[in-house]
Amino acid sequence: MAADGGAAGRLAGRQWPAERAARVPNWVYTDPDIFARELERIFEGPSWLYTCLDAEIPEPGAFKRSRLGAREVVAVRQKDGSVAVLVNRCAHRSMQFCSANRGTVKEFTCPYHQWTYDLDGRLLGLPFRRGYKGQGGMPEDFRPEAHGLERLAVTSRNGVVFASFAQPNETLETYLGPKMLGYFDRVFSGRPLEVLGYQRQRIPSNWKLMMENIKDPYHASLLHVFLITFGLFRLDNPSATETDETGRHGVLVSRRGERTVNEATAQLRQFRQTLTLADPRLIDPVREFPGDATVVMQTVWPNLIVQQQSNAMAVRQIVPLDPGNFDLVWTVFGYADDPPEMRRRRLRQANLFGPAGLVSIDDSEAMLLSQSGIAAGEEADNVVEMGGRGTEDAPHMLTENAIRGFYRHYRAVMGL
Amino acid sequence: MIGAVGVSAPAELRLRLADLYAGYDAALDEGAYERWPEFFTETCLYRITSRENHEAGLPVAMVYCESRAMLADRVTALRDTTLYAPRLLRRVMGMPVLVAVAADGMRLQQSFALFETLLNEPSRVFLCGRCYDRVVEAGGALKFAERVCVSDATLVPVSLVFPI
Repeated sequence: MAADGGAAGRLAGRQWPAERAARVPNWVYTDPDIFARELERIFEGPSWLYTCLDAEIPEPGAFKRSRLGAREVVAVRQKDGSVAVLVNRCAHRSMQFCSANRGTVKEFTCPYHQWTYDLDGRLLGLPFRRGYKGQGGMPEDFRPEAHGLERLAVTSRNGVVFASFAQPNETLETYLGPKMLGYFDRVFSGRPLEVLGYQRQRIPSNWKLMMENIKDPYHASLLHVFLITFGLFRLDNPSATETDETGRHGVLVSRRGERTVNEATAQLRQFRQTLTLADPRLIDPVREFPGDATVVMQTVWPNLIVQQQSNAMAVRQIVPLDPGNFDLVWTVFGYADDPPEMRRRRLRQANLFGPAGLVSIDDSEAMLLSQSGIAAGEEADNVVEMGGRGTEDAPHMLTENAIRGFYRHYRAVMGL
Repeated sequence: MIGAVGVSAPAELRLRLADLYAGYDAALDEGAYERWPEFFTETCLYRITSRENHEAGLPVAMVYCESRAMLADRVTALRDTTLYAPRLLRRVMGMPVLVAVAADGMRLQQSFALFETLLNEPSRVFLCGRCYDRVVEAGGALKFAERVCVSDATLVPVSLVFPI
C-alpha cells in the first residue's frame, strides 16, 4: 500500500475527461507514472500474458525466451510435457542466465558462478557450496530449495501458452469469455501448428496505440489503401466489431466483398479502381475456416493480437518498453499438416504484414505519427465517438466501440 | 569490382557481374524503383529476412517475392498505396564476392549497410547484413535468379519501406 500510495498521489492530479468513454486523454500515452502503474497492475497483475506457442518448444528442455511486460522470462518444456515459465534472472546475483532466443537444454546453468537449475527452476547445485579444504562455502543453514528461479503461473489452450506474475483468479476460458473463446478456438482448434518464422520491430509509440489500432475498424477501411483497393477489408463488406463483457478483449470480423465502385468507395478518396496486381498470387486467398469470415483480428488483453487475414496467420506480441516505445514480435505460423501450396500461400500473404508489410507499414507509421502528435500536446484529448459513445457490439465497421470498451476496463484496473 | 574466393573467374565475367551490381545499385540509389525488377529473372526469388529466421531455416520473410511481377507489385504498393513518413534510405554496399559456380548459376555474396534519414531527424544506422545471390545468364544478360538479404538484427526500427 505504501509503494502504491506514492504512485496514487502522483496520479491524483490526473482527471479523466468528463466525456468518459468518448475521450482518451493524451497523458495516458506519455506519463511515466501511468506507465509504471500499467506494468504493476496490468502486466504484473492478474492478467494472462501471451508467452509462446507449444510448437516452439516441442520436446523436454526446449525453451523460448520472451519478455512479458518489463521482465525477461524463459518458457521451457518439462519432462512431463507441461510448460514452466521462469524469470530469466539467476537467484544468486540476478544475472540474466539465458542469452539465446531459443534452444534445447538439459538444465540451466548461470555462466557467472555456475549455479545450476533444473528445468522447473529448482536450484540443483552450486560450485563450492561446502567450500574447499574446510574454507569458504555457503553457511550451514543455506537451503537450495529456497533459492530457485522465480516461476510464473502458466496455462495453455490448444497450443498457446499464457503466463502470469500474479495468479489470476479466473481460468483462461473465463478470462476470455465464451464469445472471445469461440474466435480464439477458430484459429487455435487444437490442430498442430508450424512456426514459419519471426518478425520483430521497434515502434516509437505507446503500446496501447497498437491495441487500439487493431480495435479500430474505422481506420482499416480508410488508411489501408492496399486492402481497400484489392477488396480484402472494406467498410462495405459485411462485418462485425465485438468485445467480451469486460471490454478488454475485442475482435474485428470482415467478410470478403466485391471490388466495385459504390456509395461507400465513393467516400474513400484513396480507392484505386484502376490498380491491378501483376502477380495475383500475392493475395490469392483460399477459404479454410467454417463460416464466411475472411478476416478475424482478435485482441487479447493485454499483450496479444491474433491475426487471421485470409491465409496469413500470426500472433503479435506487444512488449512495452517505456511510455513512448514498444516492441512488436510477430510469430508467423501455419498448420503442421498444410500442403506445400498452402504453406507457400501463407508466405506470400505474409508480404502484407510485419515491418515491410504492404498493409502493416501504414499502421507502424500511423502509430509513430500519433505518438509525435500526442507528445506535442499532453493536454489534448482523443475523440472516440464513431458509432456512438457506448461499448455495445456493432454489426459494422464504422465504430470505435472496442476502443471505448478497452478504456472502460483499463480505467477500472488502473483506478483512473 | 568483383572479388572471387575459391573459384576462378575470367576478367570479362567479372566485369559483366560488376556492371550488373552497379546497375542495380544505381537504380536503387536514384530511387528508380520501377527499374528494380528488370535486374531479376521472370521467376526469381527475392527475400529480405533476419539472421534469426535464416539460420533456423524458418521460411517467413519481411519481403517474399516469387516473380519479377511480384517485385513490380511491391513497387506499385510503395508508390500508390502505402503510407509512410518521408525518408531516405542510403545504401552502402560492399564488394560482391563470387563464391561458387554451379550448373544453376553463380553464387555471390555482398554485405550491406543501410542508413535511414527521416525528415528533420539525424541519420541513423537502419539495418546491416549480407545478401546471398544467385546470378544466371538470361537472354544474353546477367540477372538475379535469387537474392536473399539477411539482416544481422532481429529487430527493424519501425518500417522497412524500400527494397535492399
